[in-house]
Amino acid sequence: MFFYYCDLAWRSIRKTPMLSMLMVLAISIGIGITITTLNVYKTMSYNPAGDRSEVINSVQLWSQGLDTWDEFSSSITYIDAMNLRNNSDLGLKAASYRTGLAMQSDDPKIEPVLNSVRVTDRDFFRIFSVPFLYGSYWDASVDLRPAYQVVISQKLNLRFFEGKNSVGKTLFLDRKPYQIVGVIEDWNPQPKYYDPLNGAFNDAEEIFIPFSLTGQEEFDVWGNTSGWKFETMLTYNDRLTSEKVWIQFWTELNTDEQKQSFLGWLTRYAEQQRTIGRFTDTAKTPAELVQISDIDKWLEDNNVVPKDNKILVGLSLLFLSVCLVNILGLLLTKFLKRAPEVGVRRAIGASRGQIFSQYMVEVGMIGFFGGVIGLLWAWGSLAALNAYFSVDQNVTGLDASMWFITPIIAISTAVLAGIYPAWVVCRTKPSVYLKAQ
Amino acid sequence: MLHIKPILSSLMRSKSAPILLLLQIILSVAIVANASFIINERLSLMQRESGYAEDQILTFNVYNFDPAIDNMKQNQVDQQILRSLPNVIDASYSNMLPLSDSGWMDRYVDSPDEDAAKSTPGFAFYLGNEHLLNVMGAKLIAGRNFTADEINTSLDDSGMLALVSQPLAKAFWGDESPLGKTVYQGEQAVTIIGVVDKLQGAWVDHENFEYSVIQNIDFGGSSSNKSYMVRALPEHISGLEEVIRKALHAENPNRVVENFQTLTSIKNLTYSNHRLMATVLSIMVVLLLLITALGLTGMVMFNIQRRTKQIGTRRALGANKRDIIQYFMVENYLICIVGGVIGGMLALVLGQQLMSLYSLPMVPVIYPIVSVIGLLVVTTLAVIVPATKAANISPAMATRSV
Repeated sequence: MFFYYCDLAWRSIRKTPMLSMLMVLAISIGIGITITTLNVYKTMSYNPAGDRSEVINSVQLWSQGLDTWDEFSSSITYIDAMNLRNNSDLGLKAASYRTGLAMQSDDPKIEPVLNSVRVTDRDFFRIFSVPFLYGSYWDASVDLRPAYQVVISQKLNLRFFEGKNSVGKTLFLDRKPYQIVGVIEDWNPQPKYYDPLNGAFNDAEEIFIPFSLTGQEEFDVWGNTSGWKFETMLTYNDRLTSEKVWIQFWTELNTDEQKQSFLGWLTRYAEQQRTIGRFTDTAKTPAELVQISDIDKWLEDNNVVPKDNKILVGLSLLFLSVCLVNILGLLLTKFLKRAPEVGVRRAIGASRGQIFSQYMVEVGMIGFFGGVIGLLWAWGSLAALNAYFSVDQNVTGLDASMWFITPIIAISTAVLAGIYPAWVVCRTKPSVYLKAQ
Repeated sequence: MLHIKPILSSLMRSKSAPILLLLQIILSVAIVANASFIINERLSLMQRESGYAEDQILTFNVYNFDPAIDNMKQNQVDQQILRSLPNVIDASYSNMLPLSDSGWMDRYVDSPDEDAAKSTPGFAFYLGNEHLLNVMGAKLIAGRNFTADEINTSLDDSGMLALVSQPLAKAFWGDESPLGKTVYQGEQAVTIIGVVDKLQGAWVDHENFEYSVIQNIDFGGSSSNKSYMVRALPEHISGLEEVIRKALHAENPNRVVENFQTLTSIKNLTYSNHRLMATVLSIMVVLLLLITALGLTGMVMFNIQRRTKQIGTRRALGANKRDIIQYFMVENYLICIVGGVIGGMLALVLGQQLMSLYSLPMVPVIYPIVSVIGLLVVTTLAVIVPATKAANISPAMATRSV
């Protein structure tokens, strides 16, 4: 019966090509716009942490003074980072920030390139489940006693070592020799959830070096540094001892007890810092001076999805509803025009249910065509976003889920629009039209 | 005269089509009003004067990675080299790039006594030498620029001078001239010696975007990674990249010279989200009007077909073509106006939602009004074609089957 209805529907669509095309066009445009905005929204609001979202926590401290900032900063000071690193209570913990260093090969003809570099602790790789191809992260002792060791990406390994196992080999960063201890597989989480502060859709760094080198190597900070009071910063040491915030701190907390006990420790830490003259915002209790955020909260707090995007999704859904109303009108038009035909069919025995389902099949078919064309629109507009606007390439790929979502939205939109017209037409009284024949 | 009463009663008899039309108009007005408001907002943001000679400024980064390099000296040498290149009008170090979405922000206080001090609004904090103003192409409207012997190299030096942008001066000193005033950064005293007409900061969406300061510090010696701005005529800009790279590498090869960008391209990049939003919304508005017009034409056509007999009868009874067309137009306008009023209210409600959810400014009432007018025009066009067709139905044809 279904295929017979499909056949009937196809014939009916072909009988009124203009009207049908109008409907398909209307649905496809609505779908195209909705899927485009939804796709961008979906990729941006993706949480790459998955199951580990609640386990991975960032540490935030209210180290600012009275009447300064309104919100917790996403970064902390070097002093706090060092104190947290030295807290033996914590399981996995890693301080982290971004810098840049010039990388050189032995070939003098190749101009040196400036690479962005992540300065962090060894636990970073375990907290964020970074996959290794060769070797591993550096030894625990390196986090305490600095050593020139480095973890590089598969891509760099390919460029400089022809993809062979380069563990133990040397790489020059700012003319200093670093010993390679590990090569990671391609790893580029989007959004860049371990550091969304400076471009959430930037590519991940491909060079990782120990945080413990910070003091002696005085790396530039390629990221936001914020201060709430005037501090002269003449030397690098001024930066390290200042109240400026510029370091992200990550820790793994597996259970609620661990979270509570860590929060307790943090609160005591804040109290203790207050007694030595830091954390001077007296309007807050020590417990209010500390906060941990899991990845969900972290992405939300860092506004990874811009508000523009949410507005666009909302408006495009409204747009889709206009299309729906439009199609409803057109369907009503079309079906009522065919009322005489329905009258005849009813008279020779078709039940209301049969008429209704036949029309719903037709509507579904229109929706399906609209969806297919809409998907093409979306695909084209995403490509256009990529080509004509500097929208990060990472958010303009068509998400795999859209292959399911699009037909579902398209067909259900059409069916929603079709229910009323189909209901009206199946209630047609046969007698009225038979008389007129 | 306009036969509103019979039109109304005929509308009430077959409600579904007019209701759908009404619904569509309500939604369209709500969307078009809000979208065009956002579009207009974004466009006016983009059209603000920046105060810079945008198409004449080329920026780039130099990273000296050899630990043996004396950054302080290298910075001076590099600027000399840049200024002596052919076609270069002027060149300068800058601690931050205008309109680039990243940079320094600071504030002054008006007294060294921390408790009594009043703070200026936050401003974009440019550090540069006597060349910077010329490189930017900014216009000094009061006071003077720094001289070469006044340039400091560290934030800790004495003899700090500053140029402030006029909007900042207005915001803090009102109509009083800021020239000669002393402000403080911690204990450091800074004397204001000049006012610049316009000097935008780095963050295009920041409320303090027009507040800027240039202080007399050439900070280029403080770090191994620094950015420079070079000014040249637009026709010379594209050739400069190669020349600069060569000249700097010839002087000292142990560095990376990269990230060449014109200020125009930086600006475009920073505003790209706004441009994107304006474009997407414009496309949405156009498509919406198109779909509405097409849907309307389709429905009116059907209505006319259904009412062929009625039209024929009216024609036979003496109505002329104008009356028929007028009938459909009035019917359309009735629906449009009712829909427009409800849609306008919905638009304001929607605007209110957007305002509270995303802290957007409130939609002014003019937007729904203009949207309704625009929709009236579109629907007129959409109705007039089928209505004219209807008017051409001959009475005989229409009444034949009665």
